[in-house]
Amino acid sequence: MTTGAGTHSSALTADRSPLSDSALVAAARKGDMKAFERLYRLHSGKVMGLCLRMTRRRDVAEDCVQQTFIRAWRSLAAFEGRSAFGTWLHRIAVNEVLTHERNHGTRAESDGEAVEDAQAVPMESHREYDAGEVMDVERALATLPPGSRHVVVLQTVYGYSHEEVADMLGIAVGTCKAQLHRGRRLLRERMGLPETSDE
Amino acid sequence: MSEITKGGRDPLDEALASLSADVRPERDLWPEIHAEIAKTPILAPASRVQTTWFRLAATVLLVVATSFTTYYITRHSVQPQTAQNVEPLPAPVTPVQPASFSFGPERLGAGYMNARAELDKRFQERLATLPAADRAKVEKNLADIRHAADEISATLAQHPSDPLLQDLLMSTYQSELQLLANVSDLPSAGSMRTDL
Repeated sequence: MTTGAGTHSSALTADRSPLSDSALVAAARKGDMKAFERLYRLHSGKVMGLCLRMTRRRDVAEDCVQQTFIRAWRSLAAFEGRSAFGTWLHRIAVNEVLTHERNHGTRAESDGEAVEDAQAVPMESHREYDAGEVMDVERALATLPPGSRHVVVLQTVYGYSHEEVADMLGIAVGTCKAQLHRGRRLLRERMGLPETSDE
Repeated sequence: MSEITKGGRDPLDEALASLSADVRPERDLWPEIHAEIAKTPILAPASRVQTTWFRLAATVLLVVATSFTTYYITRHSVQPQTAQNVEPLPAPVTPVQPASFSFGPERLGAGYMNARAELDKRFQERLATLPAADRAKVEKNLADIRHAADEISATLAQHPSDPLLQDLLMSTYQSELQLLANVSDLPSAGSMRTDL
C-alpha cells in the first residue's frame, strides 16, 4: 500500500508513538483514551485523505473522519486484528462516505452509466498540495464521477486490490475493474496524456 | 500497458503515485471525537462463555416469569378440584437433586439461583401430587438430563473454551428448566408429557 510522504510527514513523525498499532489498540480496548488519541494522530491523515478524495468536500470529509473514529472506538471490541488497524479504519471510513452519499442523494454510477456525462466538479484547493503536475492530477481526479473516483482513489492512491476495493464498496470485482479502466481513461483525457492501447 | 516515459513508467501512474495519501484535517478533530466517545465507555469484548451464560440467564428469567404467570392462573382455577380429588402422596423415594453444575449456574449469581430454586420448589410440590407412574417417568427423565449436565460440565471444566460443549451444556440446562417449568405448570387433572 502506498504510504504517504506528504508535506506533513514531520508533524506526523512528531505525533508518532514508539508503540505499535496493535499495542495501542490493545490499550484502547481497555478504555485508554490516550492510546486511542495516538491512533487518531497516526491515522487521521490517511483517513482524511481518503474521505476528502471520495467526497471532494472538506467539511463532509471532516465529518466522515470524526464519525469513522467514533465508530471505531465503539467497535474496538469487535476488531479482531485480522487486518491492519489502518485497513480496518479505511473500511469504516468508506462506509461513512457511502452512507453520507446515500443520505444526501449522491450515488455511484452503475456499470451502464456513461461516466462522460458526469459533472465535473473541481475539488476545492488544498494548501497541502503544490501547484503543477500533482495539482493537475488531483484536480483531474476530482472531476471523475463518484464510482470511478472511488475505485481509482482506493486502488491507485491507497493501494488496495480489486477484491479489497470491491468488498469495501460493495460492488462486483468486474465492476471495480471496469470503473478503474474508465477512471484511468478519463484521467488521461483530462490531464492531456496520450491514450494507451488498453485504455 | 501504457505510454512509457524515459524513466520507464506510465506518466499517469507516476502522477497518481505522486499524490500523498496523507491529508491533514485543517482543524484538530480530536476534541470533538473525544467528547463523543467519552459518553461511550468502551465495552470489553464479551467472551463466548459470558455470552452463553447471559443467554441462559435470559432463558431462565423468561421461563420463570412465564411459569409464575401460568401457575398463578391455574392455581386459582383448579385448586378446589385438586383438594377434593388428590390425596397427599409421600415424598418421592429418590429426591430429585439438582445437577451438581461443577461448571454450573452459580456463575449467574444469586438472583438466578433464587429464581431457579423457586422453580425447583414449585416443581417438587407439583411432582408430589402426580400419580406414581407419571412421577417415576418425570424423575427418570430429569435424572437423565442432570446426569448429562454433570458429565458435560465436568468435561467443560477441563476444556472451558470449547464452544460446542458450552452450547451443549446450555441446551441441557434449558431442557432441564423446560421440564421443571412444564411440570410446575401442569394442571392438576389430566394427562401430561413425561418425555420432555
